[in-house]
Amino acid sequence: MKSLDVREFDHPLPLEMTVDAFKKLSGSEVLLMIHRREPTPLFEIITKNGGFYRSVHVEENLWHIFITRDSNVNLDDCRV
Amino acid sequence: MFEGLSLNQAPPISVVLRFFLTLPVFGLILSLLMILFPTEILTHNHPFSLASIHLLFLGMISMGMIGALFQMQSVLGGAPIPSPLGNSLIIHSLLVLGILALASAFIFQFPELFIIAAVLLGSGIVYFAQILLPLLIAKMSHNTLKGMRFAIFSLLITAILGVVMASSYANGSFSDTHAAIKASHYSIGLIGWIAALIIYVAFQVIEMFYVTASYSNWCKQNVKRILGASLLLKVIWLFAALPFAWVFDVFMALLLVGFVTTTMKRLRSRKRRVSDVSIWFWMMGLGLLMIALLSYLTSIVSHYEPLEAMSLIAFALFALSIILGMMGKIVPFLVWFHLNAAGYMETPIMSNIIPAKRLKMSFWLFGATASTAILSPFVPLLLIASGLSGIALFSLLLFNLVTAAKLYRKVLATGTRFTFEP
Repeated sequence: MKSLDVREFDHPLPLEMTVDAFKKLSGSEVLLMIHRREPTPLFEIITKNGGFYRSVHVEENLWHIFITRDSNVNLDDCRV
Repeated sequence: MFEGLSLNQAPPISVVLRFFLTLPVFGLILSLLMILFPTEILTHNHPFSLASIHLLFLGMISMGMIGALFQMQSVLGGAPIPSPLGNSLIIHSLLVLGILALASAFIFQFPELFIIAAVLLGSGIVYFAQILLPLLIAKMSHNTLKGMRFAIFSLLITAILGVVMASSYANGSFSDTHAAIKASHYSIGLIGWIAALIIYVAFQVIEMFYVTASYSNWCKQNVKRILGASLLLKVIWLFAALPFAWVFDVFMALLLVGFVTTTMKRLRSRKRRVSDVSIWFWMMGLGLLMIALLSYLTSIVSHYEPLEAMSLIAFALFALSIILGMMGKIVPFLVWFHLNAAGYMETPIMSNIIPAKRLKMSFWLFGATASTAILSPFVPLLLIASGLSGIALFSLLLFNLVTAAKLYRKVLATGTRFTFEP
């Protein structure tokens, strides 16, 4: 699993970095985005471009977003 | 502002760009007036001065704020603006024609133009408010939405008072309450519309964009109440011709001083101290607001007219600084976001849509324009220098916006859609 911690980056860099990493995903790779808030616009970019995601609110100011392009990957099984 | 953005509810990019593109055009007209008629503009209540004030506050500041509100309502409000393309076109057209009519009415002294301006601006602002206010009233959970509702309501009252004043100018007869109407018009416009909206936008974006500590809930909940109560009492005092109406100005000024110091503190202690031109614009804007407040408070005591003029100019530049800073961040984001959402491979990175070098250049040009403008009440010739700098600033801003819009259209026309390889 690739990991991308964007918590310390000013908006909108987290979105730009994650979309860039999402475009480079291959096969059944999963990208873990670690962010301080839930990035709603990212979800729409992912789904509109054929990807899948699972958003987990870990605690206050901490979200884990699992992203893949493979519909066979069960994101519910993904753990940090 | 944008992390709750929903593609299904975000208006087309042209809705926002239409308003933003108009701002530098009015900036260029105002800069030309500053070069050609500096003495007249700096003369209190001179028609050229009144034309310039309305070009600045309506043509530039309100135009930028209304464009941003079209985006923010959709993003934060959860309820999309109905028919955004058609409604924004109607509102934008009414405002542009109304502002041109009003400025021409002052400059050329055509009474009929005051009536035309009143009808166009009044209907444009009422139309805008009747679309947005119901959407904001329906969604009451968010403090920023409540602040936006307060600001739009203030804009509506400002416009109604403006229409009354325009009819007085058209008829050439002024009632006994003209001074009270005028003071209420600019107080509600400057504080209730402009300052309140910027404060509530700051509550939303400072923490999110720059990774700072959040503002206290007390501030978020009570700023609009304090401003609203102070404005209401000031208006009552003005119409009842009671003494010491300035006391309410002092209350509001102290609250704004608190906003400046709190926001500066947050920006200075942000976690990631990267160079970002939008932060420079925020800091300069806050500094200009502090100059506006200090010069206004001093003018209450001294009754020194150039200080009052300096206060008004610095206040306008405070709002303009923050609008320009946010436009430099919003426009590249919107271009990038809409193209990525449509899946275009050729979507440029945000820093290539409006390069940092050009944003920095616009900041320094704004600094030159602002510093000469705020000193011009003491040295009137500086207004010519400010106008020359303004021509360069708004030409660059127009170029930045046009190239961003062209880039967007080019990718739409020639780009290829993003697809995964199996």
